Amino acid sequence: MFLNPWSLNLTLCAVIVLFLVGTAAKTAVRVLLYWDPSSDSNRQIRLEAETWLSATLVEYALLIQVLTLLLFVIAADRFSQMISGAMCATGTLTANAYGIPDLLIKLVGSFLYGFWILFHRIDISSERYPLVRFKFIFLLGLVPVILVDMVLQTLFLANLKPDIITSCCSVVFGDEGGGGRGNLLTGSDPQATLIAFYGLAGAIIMTGICFLWQTLGKVRRLVTGGLSGIFSLEWAGFLVVSLAAITTVFSSYIYAMPYHHCPFCIIKSEYGCIGIFIYAALLAGAFFGLSVGVVEPFAGMDDVAQTIRRYRRGAVLLSLVLLIIFTGLSSYHLLLYRLTGGA
Amino acid sequence: MTPILERHLNLLDYALTSLWRRRLKNAGIMMVFAAVIFLVASFQMLTRGLIDVSEKILTEVPDIVIQKMSAGRQEAIPLDYRERLDDIFGILKVVPRIWGYYFDETNGANYTVMALELDAMPASSQLGRAVIGEVPSNNLNGGIVLGQTVLGNLHLGGRRTFSLFRPDLSLKPLRVVGEFNPATEIMTADLILMSLADGRDLFDMPPEVVTDYCIYVANPAEVGTIARKIAARLPDTRVLTKPQIQKTYQVIFGWRSGFASICLLTALVAFAILAWDKASGLSPEEKREIGILKVIGWQTSDILALRFWESLVVSGLAFLVGCLGAYGHVLFFSGSLFRPILLGWSVIHPSLTIIPVIGGDDLLLIFTFTVVPYMAATVIPAWRSSIVPPEAAIK
Repeated sequence: MFLNPWSLNLTLCAVIVLFLVGTAAKTAVRVLLYWDPSSDSNRQIRLEAETWLSATLVEYALLIQVLTLLLFVIAADRFSQMISGAMCATGTLTANAYGIPDLLIKLVGSFLYGFWILFHRIDISSERYPLVRFKFIFLLGLVPVILVDMVLQTLFLANLKPDIITSCCSVVFGDEGGGGRGNLLTGSDPQATLIAFYGLAGAIIMTGICFLWQTLGKVRRLVTGGLSGIFSLEWAGFLVVSLAAITTVFSSYIYAMPYHHCPFCIIKSEYGCIGIFIYAALLAGAFFGLSVGVVEPFAGMDDVAQTIRRYRRGAVLLSLVLLIIFTGLSSYHLLLYRLTGGA
Repeated sequence: MTPILERHLNLLDYALTSLWRRRLKNAGIMMVFAAVIFLVASFQMLTRGLIDVSEKILTEVPDIVIQKMSAGRQEAIPLDYRERLDDIFGILKVVPRIWGYYFDETNGANYTVMALELDAMPASSQLGRAVIGEVPSNNLNGGIVLGQTVLGNLHLGGRRTFSLFRPDLSLKPLRVVGEFNPATEIMTADLILMSLADGRDLFDMPPEVVTDYCIYVANPAEVGTIARKIAARLPDTRVLTKPQIQKTYQVIFGWRSGFASICLLTALVAFAILAWDKASGLSPEEKREIGILKVIGWQTSDILALRFWESLVVSGLAFLVGCLGAYGHVLFFSGSLFRPILLGWSVIHPSLTIIPVIGGDDLLLIFTFTVVPYMAATVIPAWRSSIVPPEAAIK
């Protein structure tokens, strides 16, 4: 189903992202081949200027990718009005085997672009550009992710078959009985999910406070490294548990319908677009939380140690604030129901 | 205020003054860009408005329509088919209908003729309520109800009677007993409603057939199941359900709008090339300006951020102008530039007022379709301009 403004737009955005990151990757190849910090040749000066270009291009690509993520979910929701058996985005995304994988790869892609920008920022904070080779190898690694995203998206759109009346005499009946293809996560226990959700949130806050407290005094780097690793792992677990909790528990309270478990409908205006704020807080929080551990391998480099220390303090603080906002927003309807006994 | 915010506010301030200094060039780009956005936004708003209107109309469509097919074409359906549906549980009413077109040679228009027994329809049906005046009785007496556009087309003046031709060119006398409420214009503009007996007389149809059956179902959730049972019971028929018709409308409007988007893509690409070209050609003054900025300590990143703000201001303004223009175009002119593409061509068009429906998601669609390519097209020229060496200021 390509001949639709939403499909065209998604394809256009994918082509633009590929163009931007592809151009940046061209610089990456040249940097890996010819980078020589000790030289003051024309080529080296030009390469240094080009690193700015690639950084800007990846920043633009990240911005577009975040917009595409939102666009993708909204488009899936719009398509549900044309796909048989689909009632919302869940139905469309599970209509063929490529929808959910593409959504996940878009999500992973956004995190990876974000990490690249972070590495770039850390790198340019030092006059010696110590991460230059690493960040450009990383950039080259982004190209396959974009290609996979593009292929999956194209396959997803190509395999969407709208349910239309054909001119032949036979009857085309949609899968009327199902109304969506069930839940994305069936069989998970809501009670256990909630315990894991609040347990992990508590653990992250504790670890975060420990981390912030120890940065005030002189503690060995090993402790800092350990804490940041634990903090990131907790965030990784929390991200997965949160997505499950939103789908199986929180969404029903937001819809005020016990059998409606959909992680996508909460972004609609019928529910005050609360989902956009919930996901923005969760994804941004998870990004900062994960980045604390991602920068760990470079924390020992003298050139950038100071920058990383400063960044990590800010990132931990910011991720804790976002965690509290996210937990508050997602639990609001549940608490309201439990306290006031429902609408 | 944080230093980062302060830096960007200052850059924005500088970007605004720099845009103002070259206002003629920037206004030109902005106007062309606004025109492209206007085209894209008009299409999007018109499509959304039409889908909205069609959804409203389709609430009046029967839950299921049965048509008899023969050699892949529709033909009249015998009245005795009705008995075979009697014992399907859940069917509220089966209403036989004669439904066709009457070509009026005097003004080249096609009227839609619908003949059915209005009192056989369920009370929930809106058709009877849309009539001002009387409703045609079930007898063969020539009483009809006309849509507003048909009424205007026939130039009846004060008369209430007129004639239409039967297939054998004999005249069928008709009497206007009522008219449709102008508020229902979109579904009744070209409609002539009459009794089943009058319809049969006008089209000279044998007494044992009608064109199709309208089926009303008690529980909307059972439409699919009942339709499946009917299809099994009457294998030589085509069974159309309301949800299917709704989906088809969505797909058709989506398809037409997508087709138009492809055509507009060429305009967008042309504009992106223009934007690229304009941003690439640095005048000596611009080179000098960047050189001076570099000399006084600006970094490459500052100039890139400055260019980003400039692009954002230009595209933001163009976006605003384009979207407002499109809103006005759809609201005040009913999207007259593009309506034929989306609606089809016909002599009689309902004079529908389309209320532009615009949500955040549509704005996001228009934004990513127009502003994102513009930003992508200007980023490389922006970088080229930012690496101008400081010596350029002195040369």
